[in-house]
Amino acid sequence: MDPYSAEGELINIHNFFHQGQFQEVIDFDTSTLSAENALPARVLQLRARLALGQADDVLADVQGETEPELEAVGALAEHALGNTDAAVKTVEKLAQESPDNAAVQTLGGTVLQAAGKSEEALALLSQHTGNLEAIALIVQIHLQQNRTDLAVKEVTAARRWAQDSLLVNLAESWVGLRLGGDKYQQAFYVFEELAQAPATSSVRTLVSQAVAELHLGRTEEAQAALEQAIKKEPGFSEAIANLLVLNVITGKDTAELTSSLETVDPQHPLLADLAEKSALFDKSANRYKLKLGA
Amino acid sequence: MQASSGMLTKFESKSSRAKGIAFHPKRPWILVALHSSTIQLWDYRMGTLIDRFEEHDGPVRGVDFHKTQPLFVSGGDDYKIKVWSYQTRRCLFTLNGHLDYIRTVFFHHELPWIVSASDDQTIRIWNWQNRSLLCTMTGHNHYAMCAQFHPKEDLVVSASLDQSVRVWDISGLRKKHSAPTSMTFEDQVARTNANQTDMFGNTDAVVKFVLEGHDRGVNWVAFHPTMPLIVSAGDDRLVKLWRMSDTKAWEVDTCRGHFMNANGCLFHPHQDLILSAGEDKTIRVWDLNKRTAVNSFKRENDRFWVIAAHPEINLFAAGHDNGVMVFKLERERPASTVYQNQLFYITKEKHVRSYDFQKNAESPTLLSLKKLGSPWTPPRTLSYNPAERSVLVTTPADGGSYELINLPRDGSGAIEPTESKRGQGNSAVFVARNRFAVLNTATQTIDIKDLTNNTTRSFKPPLGTSDIYFGSTGSLLIITPTAVHLYDIQQKKSTAELTVNGVKYVVWSNDGLYAALLSKHNVTIVTKTLEQVSTLHETIRIKSATWDDAGVLLYSTLNHIKYTLLNGDNGIVRTLDQTVYLVRVKGRNVYCLDRSAKPKVLHIDPTEYRFKLALVKRNYEEMLNIIQTSSLVGQSIISYLQKKGYPEIALQFVQDPTTRFELAIECGNLEVAVEMAKQLDRPKLWSRLSTEALAHGNHSVVEMAYQKLKHFDKLSFLYLTTGDNAKLARMAKIAEHRGDFTSRFQNALYLGDVEDRIQMFKEIDLYPMAYLTAKTHGLEEECQSILEATGLTEEQLNLPQLGEPLTPPKPVVPTFQANWPTKATSQSIFEKALLGQVEGLSLEDEPSTTTNGFGLDEAGEDDGAKRTGALADADDDEDAAGWDLGDDIIPEVEEGFVNVESVDASGGGISEADLWARNSPLAVDHVAGGSFETAMQLLNRQVGAVNFTPLKPRFLEVYQASKTYLAASVGLPPLVNYVRRTVEESDLRKVLPIIPRDLEYLAANDLQRGYDSMKTNKLEEGLKIFKDILHSVLVNAVGSESEAAEAKKLITSASEYSVAMAIELGRRQLGKQEDINKNPQLLKRSLELSGYFTIPKIEVPHRQLALHSAMTLAHRTKNYNSALGFANRILANGGASKILENARKIKAQCERNPHDAVEIEFDQFAEFEICAASHTPIYSGAAFEECAFDGSKYQPKFKGSICAVCEVCEVGKHGSGLKLFA
Repeated sequence: MDPYSAEGELINIHNFFHQGQFQEVIDFDTSTLSAENALPARVLQLRARLALGQADDVLADVQGETEPELEAVGALAEHALGNTDAAVKTVEKLAQESPDNAAVQTLGGTVLQAAGKSEEALALLSQHTGNLEAIALIVQIHLQQNRTDLAVKEVTAARRWAQDSLLVNLAESWVGLRLGGDKYQQAFYVFEELAQAPATSSVRTLVSQAVAELHLGRTEEAQAALEQAIKKEPGFSEAIANLLVLNVITGKDTAELTSSLETVDPQHPLLADLAEKSALFDKSANRYKLKLGA
Repeated sequence: MQASSGMLTKFESKSSRAKGIAFHPKRPWILVALHSSTIQLWDYRMGTLIDRFEEHDGPVRGVDFHKTQPLFVSGGDDYKIKVWSYQTRRCLFTLNGHLDYIRTVFFHHELPWIVSASDDQTIRIWNWQNRSLLCTMTGHNHYAMCAQFHPKEDLVVSASLDQSVRVWDISGLRKKHSAPTSMTFEDQVARTNANQTDMFGNTDAVVKFVLEGHDRGVNWVAFHPTMPLIVSAGDDRLVKLWRMSDTKAWEVDTCRGHFMNANGCLFHPHQDLILSAGEDKTIRVWDLNKRTAVNSFKRENDRFWVIAAHPEINLFAAGHDNGVMVFKLERERPASTVYQNQLFYITKEKHVRSYDFQKNAESPTLLSLKKLGSPWTPPRTLSYNPAERSVLVTTPADGGSYELINLPRDGSGAIEPTESKRGQGNSAVFVARNRFAVLNTATQTIDIKDLTNNTTRSFKPPLGTSDIYFGSTGSLLIITPTAVHLYDIQQKKSTAELTVNGVKYVVWSNDGLYAALLSKHNVTIVTKTLEQVSTLHETIRIKSATWDDAGVLLYSTLNHIKYTLLNGDNGIVRTLDQTVYLVRVKGRNVYCLDRSAKPKVLHIDPTEYRFKLALVKRNYEEMLNIIQTSSLVGQSIISYLQKKGYPEIALQFVQDPTTRFELAIECGNLEVAVEMAKQLDRPKLWSRLSTEALAHGNHSVVEMAYQKLKHFDKLSFLYLTTGDNAKLARMAKIAEHRGDFTSRFQNALYLGDVEDRIQMFKEIDLYPMAYLTAKTHGLEEECQSILEATGLTEEQLNLPQLGEPLTPPKPVVPTFQANWPTKATSQSIFEKALLGQVEGLSLEDEPSTTTNGFGLDEAGEDDGAKRTGALADADDDEDAAGWDLGDDIIPEVEEGFVNVESVDASGGGISEADLWARNSPLAVDHVAGGSFETAMQLLNRQVGAVNFTPLKPRFLEVYQASKTYLAASVGLPPLVNYVRRTVEESDLRKVLPIIPRDLEYLAANDLQRGYDSMKTNKLEEGLKIFKDILHSVLVNAVGSESEAAEAKKLITSASEYSVAMAIELGRRQLGKQEDINKNPQLLKRSLELSGYFTIPKIEVPHRQLALHSAMTLAHRTKNYNSALGFANRILANGGASKILENARKIKAQCERNPHDAVEIEFDQFAEFEICAASHTPIYSGAAFEECAFDGSKYQPKFKGSICAVCEVCEVGKHGSGLKLFA
């Protein structure tokens, strides 16, 4: 039986992870799990710790392990610590040795994509056989490449065999936020359902809900959700970034949020993008200045 | 009294005696309580028995529906009151208490109460919610026959065989049971026990009036729905009308006419009529005001027992010895006629009005027909003569009569007809400009009359003529019960005849070429020469019809509007809540009259029938247009197209691959078939495809199908026939690898490859065969080696006669390189257009899709084919490794296709932000999309912007606002999504980014802050704010032209303020007042600037501040003349009293000495504007330059410099103008 299916042992821990409830993943009692599920559960817990920023500990934890799953976790930890080259090397090795391993696919795919090797990531991920995490990753990569059409295809295909899966719902919502129109509202419903139920609520889903609201033009509701998220976890960069965007839209001052984002996550795409555009502006504006001078 | 005319019976049932009837308030249902103990639930519209309820023991006499709940109540001779649910179809509970037969039961209109009347001489009120008896009303001393609640007040009226009618006041009961105070249990018990009087002497129900006047028992009594009137019917055969006031009640009048017991009576719910029913087998209608008989309907054999009225609709029901009948008192079809864009119709008040379809406006009353016919009989038909502007009205009253009246030119004059001509006749229609025909059914004659009402000719129509309609000029359509005749008036003979039963109405098409003959359940369409075109049957009654301009007939049934094409195709257009009579269709509007004769406009979606019509007429352009503009999908249209033999068109609408495949095969569209077969990948489909493709001569598709099916033999043969020797060779190799010797032999044979054949024979130890082959082909060396190998000599062999060596024919034409040229299959022009169109559409929907369009797919397929070809070529070199096992073929091919896709995928798409710049000509959208370069170009072109540095914050603000960050997969950077201002839009070619601080926001926030800073004298801050407003408007977008105008106003205002503030700030920078006073140069400048400060067109209260400051300064420096000028301007402006007062004082002072101490360049009487850079006046007429964006003015010498106001644009540079609205 598929351990992630609705009756499977891992469904809860799996869902916790993807709903962004990392502490619940770590606290999950794995002692009652059957033998074959112990390893996937451990991988999930390690990934949760990674997500919570405990990369050093995780790396130490998997040091010397030979299971490809744990090696993949190691690579992810390396990447999180900034040793991208080493991480990529490990992943490439794993991809050669055990490309069928689901953990290798997902974790490897994550590392490769994060390292900017989208093609390699897709190649690795496309070998999956019914691995929903891989599908979610493929969808995200397609979206990042602005290939919404391919993402839609991927989700529709997955929908056919994994009707009610959380990941498919999430991936569909991601795509929905790109498609817009009615899809905004549908995405909003998915996020809202997760964010508002105490059992599934997390900062991630709360922010996702806010983002959907933002796209729907409901700024007040979005603001409420974002402030709630920041209150829960003041250092969650996505919450800050989106609140910043929201404040720009509503015409409020953003200096404070910008500086707090700079402290929390100086590498955040928003800041990087802004710096790049700022430079672009100066460059473009200069051309006219030269003309003017002449 | 009028002779009983035919009753308008809508429904009749056969059963045992019906004693109780109730209409459902909303649905077309009627409950019938039968003497046989059954309660029936009928749908009187469909004429079907919905349900039967059989729990009473013995006759059931009373029934009633609840107004809102799915409940009804019944009471019978088993002394039981039962409350039923018609949803669950069972009795919910029984109320016991009466001690004898129950005669009537009724629900209260709002309280959960039931009132019942019983032969036990009591009337009881029950609560059906807590199922308790609330009150027993005693007083009658014989059977209580009927008891009803008053529809509004707390009254009950009852009738009894004791010859009295009683009115009971039940307000005490209501008070008691709606009292909100909580009671102790003891109290409650005490209350219920003290049934009649409580401690204050109030009773639950007290007799208010006893109405005596009937000489025999009273059978029925009813309240008037609105007036304080009561009607009762008794065994004295009388129907009595009673009136009551607060204090008394008295008999008003008696309606005499029934000659047997009167059993039921009621007030008409809407009209001043009384209806009664009696054992004399009649239903009688009485005028409420005159108490005269209006009408009576007699039944042959059945005595009437009960009568009921529908609360809303003009419907009544009566129960008799053998069942029930539902009937109408009058026809509800308003008489109407359409001429061009005008509808003429007769209202319920018998007023003739017109309605203009173009203006959608009703005219005032044109004419009153009050005097026509009897007051209770509405006119039946209306015929309009545009030449004379006269109408011909017929009414069934007085045995049928007609009236010819001229309509006044407009509705303003007198509405009473001035002159009318009338006569006897059942039908009358205009047949020519100055002739009309009148049918008299009794004498069976048709008279043709002129407009002075003189008969010009007269003839006998076919036997049994019941109605006449306009035929075409000079002819009539004559309707008999079984046929329709086209009758030529000149020749006095029938020119055509068509057998159609029971035609009631004729509706001509707008072009006069077709007519629709409507009967109760049939629509027959005929040509103008009475040839039948089509006919259709409806189970539900057909009410009316009208023709679309395109020749589609729309007709209404009781509950639908439907259409039929001339070929008989029909369908439903929409459902109706209430019956309407169609009069006209125009575009999406259907005009109709409802039953109260009010014109109404209904909206319909004509897509379906227009599409079908276009299909029938082969109007491809129209079809294309419909496909493009409407969402025309659904199973019905597909099966319709397929059924009608247009599979190729149906193909365009189908999504389901299996159906698509079937359709594609059916219409020979191989491309689609291949595509679908690939998607479905089932052997059965491939084999069908191969057969079809072979028939087409499309051998490349055949090849693919065979490959998929692994039909090696067939493949080989295909290659042989197409002369593709290279592939044949490969097939041979494959056969070798498969170890299939037969196949190998065959291939070698096809190829003429003798060596291989010999080799093969040797391999399988068939040396004799090998030898023979070699021998036949004269390969002596080979023969020798075989002999050696087998250790035989030639002499030992006994050879048969050798034949000629077989040489297979060589291919003359390389057929395999291309498909056989085939005639374009069943592709019609339309289909091609449609293909192009559909492709275009699908691309529009998903611009980045690469596999949906046909054209693209084809390309992909070619690619795939080439790729397989390439792969195959490579295989050759590696000893056909790829072809090792036959199975490999398929993965190879598939991989080819997969590759095609992943090649597509690798590209990376266009981000939505990039699309914004493509979608919009507005600079702001380019900014949001991050395309600063093009945004700057746009601004430069539009308003001559050159100095962009001040715009940087705005650029970044706009850019930032449109992107959100969605944390997606754990461990990956967030997904960037794009916030749109077009939230509803999902078409990527139309989406546009959100704009922070739009015009509305700026006007509501920043502008107000700017004003505040002006008011509070914080000018530096204000200047900054107004400049920011200018920058924000410069990079912005608006939703409409009018908003664009608003934006222009905002720009001008902000610009004026900026100039004003800059002037005043400039003045303040001159130095301290003492220093200035010492320096005449500075003093002059200071005074000038203070004057200029008053020039820009800022809001009046703010200008007052500027004027006040200028006035004070001028006054202080003894420039009394200038001060006087400022003071006058202040006074002219009005406003805050403090400033006005100061101005008055100074004015008074200055007027004494109107001279300036310091000569300044400020002419208060001249028209001038201020140069925004130098702050000097530009007199009207003088040359000036301006900023193309904010409109600030400059002295000519500043041309080419940067505008001092917006700090962005080049002064004097003229652009195309700021674009804020696309």
